[in-house]
Amino acid sequence: MALLSPQDEATLKNHLSVITLPVQLVLFTQVFGGSESGDVAKQIVNEIASLNDKVTVVEKNFVLDTEDKVKYGIDKAPAIVILSDGINTRMRMYGAPTGYEFVGLVEAIIVAGTSKIDLDPETMKWIQAVDKPTHIQVFSTPT
Amino acid sequence: MAAANELITADAIEATEFMDLSRKYRVTGVPKTIVNETIEIMGALPEKMFVRQALDLPDETPA
Repeated sequence: MALLSPQDEATLKNHLSVITLPVQLVLFTQVFGGSESGDVAKQIVNEIASLNDKVTVVEKNFVLDTEDKVKYGIDKAPAIVILSDGINTRMRMYGAPTGYEFVGLVEAIIVAGTSKIDLDPETMKWIQAVDKPTHIQVFSTPT
Repeated sequence: MAAANELITADAIEATEFMDLSRKYRVTGVPKTIVNETIEIMGALPEKMFVRQALDLPDETPA
């Protein structure tokens, strides 16, 4: 059964229509010992990808695809890495992207697919001035 | 922020799925943001306030 209603699908399709660059969602899941959320994450990214030809899903095995884990710095699953035209955007999501996380995922896909960042110019200057590795972790819940 | 600077990595983490991490960072409410293991930001803040805190910029930084 689809997670998105036909109405949600139509709204989402409209939001995604601004995308001009290919977006790859690299999904890491764990087949054995993994949680149900891996299946939910898989269904969500596949439903999103079905709404726009420029969005594709690349599945990786968290246990077996160690090279990719290292490449994208993935240390837990399920995980979604968002690529913009094959380039790592360094935006990652851990856990099933439901509720608020779903909104964040869609926004990240749109940033990756348009290369447009909707931030105040002053804020952008501060961010662009960062000259050392910076790791931001935002914890949230679906509701 | 990650999309704007290649030195920045941004993770969105579902707190109830990764309880060990939530305990490690004492996540008692959401959203909670951790930057470089040292800076903690509680709640959702306006854009400029969030970025100032996340990047540890002084308050007097011209806005």
